[in-house]
Amino acid sequence: MGRSRRLPDIRLLFGCAIAVTVLLAGILAPWIAPYDPGAQDLLRILQPPAWDEGGSSAHIFGTDSLGRDVLSRMIYGARTAMTVAVLATGGAMILGMLLANCAGYFGGWLDWCISRLVEIWLSFPPVVLSMLLIVGLGVGTDKVIFAIILVDWTRFCRVLRSEVQVARRYDYVAYARLIGFSHMRVIAREIFPATLPMLITLVSLQMGISVVVEAILSFVGMGVPSNVPAWGQMIADARVDIYSAPWGLALPILAIFGTVLGFNLLGDGLRRVLDPRSRATARE
Amino acid sequence: MIRSLLWILARRFASVIPVFIIVTMLVFGTLRLLPVDPAQMSMPPSASIEQVEAKREQMGLNKPVYVQYGLWVRDVFQGDFGQSTQYRMPTGALVLERLPATVELALSALVFAIVVGVAGGLAIFAVRDTPLETAGLVGTSALMALPDFLLALLFILFLGVLYPILPVNGRLDPGITLESDTGFFLIDALLSGDPAIFLNVVAHLALPVMALGLAFAPMIIRVLHSSLVSTYQHSYIEQARLRGISDRKILFGQALKNALLPVIILVGTQFGGLFGGTLLVEMIFSYPGLGNLMLRSMQTADLPIIMSVSLIYCATTLLFNSLADAGAYLINPKLRA
Repeated sequence: MGRSRRLPDIRLLFGCAIAVTVLLAGILAPWIAPYDPGAQDLLRILQPPAWDEGGSSAHIFGTDSLGRDVLSRMIYGARTAMTVAVLATGGAMILGMLLANCAGYFGGWLDWCISRLVEIWLSFPPVVLSMLLIVGLGVGTDKVIFAIILVDWTRFCRVLRSEVQVARRYDYVAYARLIGFSHMRVIAREIFPATLPMLITLVSLQMGISVVVEAILSFVGMGVPSNVPAWGQMIADARVDIYSAPWGLALPILAIFGTVLGFNLLGDGLRRVLDPRSRATARE
Repeated sequence: MIRSLLWILARRFASVIPVFIIVTMLVFGTLRLLPVDPAQMSMPPSASIEQVEAKREQMGLNKPVYVQYGLWVRDVFQGDFGQSTQYRMPTGALVLERLPATVELALSALVFAIVVGVAGGLAIFAVRDTPLETAGLVGTSALMALPDFLLALLFILFLGVLYPILPVNGRLDPGITLESDTGFFLIDALLSGDPAIFLNVVAHLALPVMALGLAFAPMIIRVLHSSLVSTYQHSYIEQARLRGISDRKILFGQALKNALLPVIILVGTQFGGLFGGTLLVEMIFSYPGLGNLMLRSMQTADLPIIMSVSLIYCATTLLFNSLADAGAYLINPKLRA
């Protein structure tokens, strides 16, 4: 399988490059964005990008219906997307990991309860559940993060639980108990490292998922407040002017697509590199 | 076998019912977090404070949440899903009117996704160990980074605006009238016997179905492909080949059936994603189904509708999970013990 030996490198590199670019764009937004993302210039609305007919190099990606610079809004959109993605992924990871370790390590009634909880959660289509939570919680960046955590912890819990169950049966875990390690210490020192490769992969995939959910919520006006630039919101704004300014719609879609693709490739590549088992079977 | 299949289904549904009951409680509880007053919303703006207070009393809103939940359950068993506050109509009628549109969309998208997914998986498997396989897999991972609502917008951009060849609005052209008995326009159009109407319905379905289906198909392609690869590592495939059975017969007679098992489970567990996707896709294509009703109700805090439609989404997801279990059972003798 020479192919599987070469591909991960490309995936990893490509995914890493995109992920780092988007993260950096988000962090450095105030310094690299050419304009204030909220600054309106009503004399120059719906300008095409620089490479299109009638575009100018003053606004490389053109302007939107209020004359705001699209490039600056895309960069600040990355800031919003990454803030949400990092915090939501972190929260979902911690919640999912805690419950997965409890369920997988201790088993018994605790496992039964947590598994039923996951089952209940999975009977909601994720989009519907996140929107329901936003309806209940209200609009806001923190609410979006909270909603994503409350929806997506199951992704971590389900997968990690079975990893923990496997790891628990290793001999070294039994030995650790025999020489008097406490349960907490066994989980932290013996179980956790065994599940780490899967955890890292899940984190990377969840980053992409969070970006999509934030975009969906912002697109339907249930996401971040309207004064915060977000890709989903740019799409919703540009949809109105789809006939006169198709680029305004295409660019934020490209941003979401690129970001999600990057984190998916990164997760895929990491799984192949970190987990020796996945080389043998090509299971999803 | 049929009897044991029914038994499995019955057992599955029995275990799903408690889950569904808890789901109803969760949705009810979440919606009670809302700082809106359903009593006030169901009265005309000119109503006096006393009238609103009386209405609140009548709706049981002064009672604790669990009593309110009990009242809601009692009403549901009497076929009363509450009064929509924005339409001032019974929720049940509103939801039933739009349900067929969404079911038609979701099922068409599912069929489309399965056809494209199985064909794609087989195609990529057929060119295994060539650069084409790698290209195919790279293509599917790219497609997987495009969620349904972005695909929908891209289709509108390219096939609706830049090269306008397909309609992007609603279920029918405004000039066409269709006697709708079932609510399923595909069926109604066929029954009408007018091919032009049928084609018009299909054309309107095309883009939303493609958006939903092509978001789902890459998952099927990848799972089927990897499942075929691992199936072909079994010795019975090699034995069949040694006995001189043709490749085609091995694939379609033996391997595919076994390789489809993970696909069936995938379709069952991920159908909720597709069904939830109709929400945004319906909004984008102004398609008059449950999704549009739901989004509008969320904007106006129309609680009875949000409640009922959410529960339809959950019930459908659970139903497909159970069906997938039954399907997996049918196809895999090992589960039939």
